[in-house]
Amino acid sequence: MGVTCVCQVPVAEGKSVQQTVDLLHKKLDQLGAVKQGSFCVDCETYHATANVGGQQSKLLYVMHNTETPLSCFALFEGGPCLKADTNFDILMVKLKSHFQNAKGYKVECRGSRYRYCDFLIKVGTVTMSSSARGISVEVEYCPCVVPGDCWNLMKEFMQSFLSSNVPELPSVFATKPEGLFAPADAIDTMTQYLEVFNKLRKLQIPGSNVR
Amino acid sequence: MADVVNVGVNLEAFSHAINGIQALRSSVSRVFDFLKDGMKNRENLEGREKLFLTEFQDNLQAVNRDLNELERLSGLVGRPSESHPLHNSGLLSLDPVQDKTPLYSQLLQAYKWSNKLQYHAGLASSLLNQQSLKRSANQMGASAKRRPKVQPSTLVLPPQYVDDVISRIGRMFPDMTIELFRPNGNSAVLLVTLGKVLKAIVVMRSLFIDRTVVRGFSENIYNEDGKLDIWTKSQYQVFQKVTDHATTALLHYQLPQMPDVVVRSFMTWLRSYIKLFQSPCQRCGHFLQDGLPPTWRDFRTLEAFHDTCRM
Repeated sequence: MGVTCVCQVPVAEGKSVQQTVDLLHKKLDQLGAVKQGSFCVDCETYHATANVGGQQSKLLYVMHNTETPLSCFALFEGGPCLKADTNFDILMVKLKSHFQNAKGYKVECRGSRYRYCDFLIKVGTVTMSSSARGISVEVEYCPCVVPGDCWNLMKEFMQSFLSSNVPELPSVFATKPEGLFAPADAIDTMTQYLEVFNKLRKLQIPGSNVR
Repeated sequence: MADVVNVGVNLEAFSHAINGIQALRSSVSRVFDFLKDGMKNRENLEGREKLFLTEFQDNLQAVNRDLNELERLSGLVGRPSESHPLHNSGLLSLDPVQDKTPLYSQLLQAYKWSNKLQYHAGLASSLLNQQSLKRSANQMGASAKRRPKVQPSTLVLPPQYVDDVISRIGRMFPDMTIELFRPNGNSAVLLVTLGKVLKAIVVMRSLFIDRTVVRGFSENIYNEDGKLDIWTKSQYQVFQKVTDHATTALLHYQLPQMPDVVVRSFMTWLRSYIKLFQSPCQRCGHFLQDGLPPTWRDFRTLEAFHDTCRM
């Protein structure tokens, strides 16, 4: 498990989400990347029903990633996070009295997975309540484990197909001592996806979007 | 071209010489024919003998003349075998069916090539002789008898000495940890962990480095049965490339008389990979080329280059 960066790519002007995704696919093909199946990341939102100690209720996000098909991630808004087996979903049903599923808040991100040398690239369409909201791009540089080491290298790679839309170093890495990527638990990646989802949720749906 | 002209001249002389030989043969056979026939019947014995002698003399003179002529012609023909660099094979050029069997031109080409090869091999051998760093203990000129004596002296070092050398090298580089294992007998296997960048497995034979495999920091270095895995190559292209370069470095750093210096130089070189993902190529200034960072490190300056950007 290497260093992963997830970012949101704005829809190209005068194009639909799908057209922009196709454009990215074309650029990756030209670069020499090889398509390797598809991927899906989904996120469900839960409200805590009981207020503990008068605190404002926090949101709980339960996420899945096809890259780690046997795991389930639960992330508290701005708080702790945990990684569990997929049985965790059933547990959440049992915890209905404490956490209520916010229907209509389900976010999904589906798309193709590409490999180029030691890079793993996932271009996904983010959909909320069956409407395409935006595009996410995940780039993973597998051989390196320290984000600070390979960030310039990743930036150069992303420039080659995202041109001006290259993001800054994800904030999840900035706060870590030594910037070491938490190996094998993929929480950092999920946090980044959550950030993208939340950003897109706040965006208004542009009228021109066609799914 | 000069060859062809020469051959033309020779051919004419040859045909003359052949004619000369024929003339000589006929005159010689005339002498013997005459002798065989004996003295013809003449009236008086005196006249008979006189005539016989003069005719015999004439015949012999004819032989002499033809012989002289042939000698003169043979001087003209010369010795083609000596004048030609290819000796007798040069006669192939006389073959009139050149187009069907281009043996001669092919022979000339081969000759030129072999000449060139010999020349270059001579240059290379003189250059290589100047190079004192050699991998094999069997140096040029060293007799085969000496070899078995030389090898054991450097190959059989006490394990304690090897341990000392390795731990001394380990102390030299704080960002590099070297663990020493002896999974099979006396030969040491080193596990070198370089920062959070890579792990290298270095298989030693005494103090000679035999083989090395470089893998990513997050990759497995042990088999399922918990032993060091010294065979499987890295799943990442970067480290496969680095492994190739490290093998090249093994061949480069060789000093049979001072194996500890070799190990130290190799480790110094390997340590330059601590910035594998951080340093751009010194030539093109980019980080990536064909999806790979600069994987080559110069043996002297330790500067980073892409594999295709190095000299």
